[in-house]
This record gives sequence, C-alpha cells and structure tokens, in this order.
Amino acid sequence: MTTPPTAPPRRDAAECCVPDIGSEAPDFELTDRTGRRRRLSDLRGAPVLLAFQPSHWDPSWAECVRVYDRMLDFPAMCLDTGPVAERYGVADGAAVFVIDAGGRVSWRHTAGDAPPSPNEIADVLTASSPMALDSESSGWSRRHFVATMVAATLALALTRRVARAEPAVAHQRFATAIGSGETVKLRVNGRELSLDLEPRVTLLDALREYAGITGPKKGCDHGQCGACTVHVNGRRILSCLTFAVMQQGKEITTIEGLAASVGASGGALHPMQQAFIDHDGFQCGYCTAGQIMSAAAVVREPWGPADDDVREAMSGNICRCGAYPGIVAAIQTVRKNPATAQRGQR
Amino acid sequence: MKPFDYAAPASLDEATRAGARAATRFIAGGTTLVDLMKLEVETPEHLVDLNPLADRDPSLGTVSELPNGGLRIGALARMSDVAWATPVKERYPVLSQALLLAASGQIRNMASMAGNLLQRTRCPYFRDTATACNKRDPGSGCSAMQGFNRSHAILGTSERCIATHPSDPAVALVALGASVRVRGPGAQPSAERTMPIASLHLVPGTHPERETVLEPGEVITAIDVPPLPFARRSLYLKVRDRASYAFALASAAVALDVANGTIRAARVALGGVATKPWRSTAAEQALIGKRATAAAFRAAADAALRGAVPHRDNAFKVELARRTLVRALTEVSA
Repeated sequence: MTTPPTAPPRRDAAECCVPDIGSEAPDFELTDRTGRRRRLSDLRGAPVLLAFQPSHWDPSWAECVRVYDRMLDFPAMCLDTGPVAERYGVADGAAVFVIDAGGRVSWRHTAGDAPPSPNEIADVLTASSPMALDSESSGWSRRHFVATMVAATLALALTRRVARAEPAVAHQRFATAIGSGETVKLRVNGRELSLDLEPRVTLLDALREYAGITGPKKGCDHGQCGACTVHVNGRRILSCLTFAVMQQGKEITTIEGLAASVGASGGALHPMQQAFIDHDGFQCGYCTAGQIMSAAAVVREPWGPADDDVREAMSGNICRCGAYPGIVAAIQTVRKNPATAQRGQR
Repeated sequence: MKPFDYAAPASLDEATRAGARAATRFIAGGTTLVDLMKLEVETPEHLVDLNPLADRDPSLGTVSELPNGGLRIGALARMSDVAWATPVKERYPVLSQALLLAASGQIRNMASMAGNLLQRTRCPYFRDTATACNKRDPGSGCSAMQGFNRSHAILGTSERCIATHPSDPAVALVALGASVRVRGPGAQPSAERTMPIASLHLVPGTHPERETVLEPGEVITAIDVPPLPFARRSLYLKVRDRASYAFALASAAVALDVANGTIRAARVALGGVATKPWRSTAAEQALIGKRATAAAFRAAADAALRGAVPHRDNAFKVELARRTLVRALTEVSA
C-alpha cells in the first residue's frame, strides 16, 4: 500500500489573530456581487456570514455562497485566501464567521477544531436573522430551512478539509462501517496494482476512482453505452458490469495501455488510434476510448467484411455526436490493411 | 449498492453449499446481476463467484460433443464463444443467430450461457424499486397491468404479472429441445438432475417471484442440445425497435424438415411476447404433413397466437408475432 500523503504544514501560529467571540470583526473592503466596493463596516445593522475557503479546494464553493447570499436574510461572503484571510488568522484553511449586526464576531468555526455540527451552525444562522421567527403551523419556517441547508453545506465543506488532511484515517473509518475492504490485485496495462477495495467496487470504479486510470469512461454505468469498454485477456468487456474482485489474475488493458501493447514500435499509437484520427472518428471524445477499445478487439473477431458487419459489431458503443461514419471508416481501414489487421494482439 | 461479502469457491460442492444460504446469489458473467444490484432490485448479502470453477474444469466453459451426436455447452461458456463455435454454426444455426442478435459484443464476451437462461425480466416496473411489482415484491401489485405495457407479454401471462422473458438464446434452445444439467448441494448422484429447458422456467401464475424450478444452491452445470439433423435448416428472426442492441418486440426460432415440398417435422418457439421462452407445439402440429406454403405458415402462426391476451399498449404484438413467425418459416423454407 502507498503511504498516506503528508498533511500540508499548518500555520496555527496565526491563532493569535483569530478574532475572539465578542470582539470587533477586522474591517476590510471587497467588491460585492453587484460590483460595488463595500466595507464590512458598511453592513452594520445586519448580520454577515463570512466563509473562507481556498478556491483550489472546490471552485464551485464561491458560487454556492453567492446563491446563499440571495436566499439568506443577511449578506454572505465567500473569501479566498489572501490578506483578509490572514487578518482573520485562517490564511491556509477553511473557516466560517458570523458577524452580528453590531460588527462583532458572534460565532466562529475554524478548521483546526473538530468538524462543526450542522445543527449548531443552523441555530447560529437562524438566531442571527433580523426577521422575527415565522409561526407556521408546522413550526418550520422557510428561514430555518434555508439556514439548515446552508449549515449542512458549510459543515460538509469544513469536514472535507479534515478528510483531506487525513485520507487514510477517513477511508479506514468508512471501510469499517460498511464491511470488509480487502486487498485486490489487478494487472492493468502490464502493471501490478494493489488496491484496498470492497467487493462492490466495479472494475470501472476501481480503475477510475482508486487507480487513477481514467481512460475508461462512465457513461451510463448500466452496460448500455460502451464508454467503459476495456480488454480482459484480450477480449472487450464492459468494466461497469463486473466487480474488480472478480478480475484478479487477468490481463486488463485500457486505452492508456493500447499504444504500449504494440510493443517494439514503443510509444507509437495503436493502428486503431491512428485510424480514428485519420478518419475523424470522434467529435466530443467522451465515447472515444470505449469506441477504440471495442474496435481494436472487433478486428480480431470473426465478423464479415461489410460496413454493416462493422455497424453490427460496434452496436454496443453509442456516440451521441454521431461520428459513426468516421468510426466505420477507421475500422475498415485497419481491417483491410494486412499490416494492421493482425496487430493489436497482446 | 448494498454491501455484500464475496466468495470464490474452489469446487462445485463448495459453491452449491455456499449458494444454499439465504440472501445468496451466484454470479457468472454479472451482466444482469451487477446491473440489478446497482438498482437495488437485487440485494444479496453473499455473492458466490462461479467463474473460477471453469479454470479447474474447462468443460464448464466450453462446447463439446455428446456421444449421441448432440452438443454439451458448459454453463460458463460465454455467449460469443458459443455463437462462433463451428458445430453450433453448422448444426444449430438458430442458436448461433439468436446469440449474435442478443445484447452487444462486449456483453456477449462476458455473459454466460446459464446466466442468460436465468436473466431477469426487463420490465421497467420490475427494475424500478419505487413502483409496485409482484415479481420483485410479492403481493405489492403489478404496475404494468394498468401502466405502460408496450414491451410486455401476451402469452403465458397472469393477473399478477405480464413481464416478458428477455432471452433470445433460450427461445432457440427450447425450439431445439435442449435440456439443462443441474447440480444441487448434497451428495452425488442424488444432487444431480436433468430437465428440459421447457420445464426450467415457470409461467408467473400466482407466484411471479418464482421464475424457475431451481432450488436454493442449485446451479446449472451444462446445457445439452440433442441431435436434430434438420436443425441445419433453422433460423432466428428478431424484430425490435432498433436495428441492433435491443430486446425483442417479437422473435421466432424455427426449424423445418421439408421433403418434396411437404413438412415432415417442425420446431417453433417465440420470444419477446411470452413470460417464458415459448415453444408452440400447436404451431408445430399445424405444420406437420402440410405443404410448405404461405397459407400453412399463416395457419401455424394463428395456432401459435391463439389464446394471446393483449393489454392496452401491446396489442400490436399479436399480429407482429404472427408476421414474424410467417416470415421466419418462409425464409427457412426458401
């Protein structure tokens, strides 16, 4: 097994700079969503939610907070790392502050602590709302609903930081909770891989999510599209419809290993890859790895010589762009050339 | 997908014992089971992998000659290998064609022959755990009865279930009079039995959840195809919404023994229209002794579809199945 990656150096030295509960929130200026320059102090009179998260963790996070800004009864701001984050002592981490209407810190969560509970954040957000509590018969107001939703997302974002810092520990907990994760040995593109997998992990997920081999694509995940096609012992199969644990001791080839399988020509494209390029056998490219893997195996199967035979042989590979004419032409070119028709054998 | 534990037994004895436990499924090709496990239609707690057994006993995964002139197809033989096996292509073209018209190239490389016989229905309500289905959840009702039932069966149905059996090869195999060899847990030879494929599957009746006569722990070890010389003239015709890679709306497996223009023997089975692979002895009887003419074929088709029970969206299948059968008989006798 690989050793867990070391956690990035923490800069908890900034602890002294994290504003205390009840203290005045450090002021700063930034551009709001309408393009106006605003200072935090301009917003006094209403509570403010400040969320800090380095954008490289999740680029969609800032957009998420902008959406909440429209839903909450008070402004929400998402800040990347930078001078403001440094002033709040969270230069390299995720943190959430709620600033009350008087400009004081009424609640804070920094990632150095244990993950926050969504209920706790929801209570803070609800309590910070300037509006009176709704008294619907259900006792469940829209505002409370929004606050809970925001709270859950914030908790998730902060928890993820913890999970990322300790991937090995997080994974171990997961495995214990749901059953046995066992060592599965796969031979992929000539390399031995040793992966810690549950039995329910499909070969496709093992390749993509655990081994980082992302050539096989997840299209439908139900054996209807062919995007996940790989070779097992030289035969084309659908990696989404088999469990990785069942494919031990077999020779698995993905698109990443196809060129190498030509061998002596070292690094040269497989003839089918070259033919797909020559005949424009793709447009968006999502189905292409599956198409090429399927096609490279079709050449070795006893199909008839006609274009219709190719179409029938390839009917398990769907292309939404409709690149079929180029695909058929590519396959026929490889099949008709005696130099390439016999190649691609492993 | 629900978690499960996985075992790959080293022997058939071990496999049948492991398979007899509650909440256990055998897995071979996995092309149906993995799909249904993702949908949580199938939620086994234990999975018993049969594939490694073929490494120890190659006959489980290959086609071999029987002393009587028939063929034995190992239960773990893959659909594509059987489709392209020379004795199958030459002596039982109906089976080779049915196999090649089923699924896709990738799936045929994975799917086992026995697994193909035992695959579950494609009824969309069976596959959707949010809907009622007597087959998936006995007693919950049949959503297809009043729902969208265009793909459903018109033969062998009951008030409880109108789901179609989806296999193509099974239709060819019942036409050929093939049987399955079955092995259960316990001491040999009492643990072994053989039955015609025609008696393997059950019509839904009042218990649609029971699809075969197999008992817990029983596995199919082989499919035996009897000698049938006139099957060299046999044919599988499949009609579907797409040109390829779709389940049958109607299909026909036919074999004819014609001498001097007169039909001496006939085999007829229908797919895509019935709750199990549907051999029609009524159609066969209607053909025997008749001249091989369009009128005789039409009469046989009428006999095959007598008693068909259409529902709102699948009434077209009655005539479609008749025409499919007439065309198959016309082509095979040409």
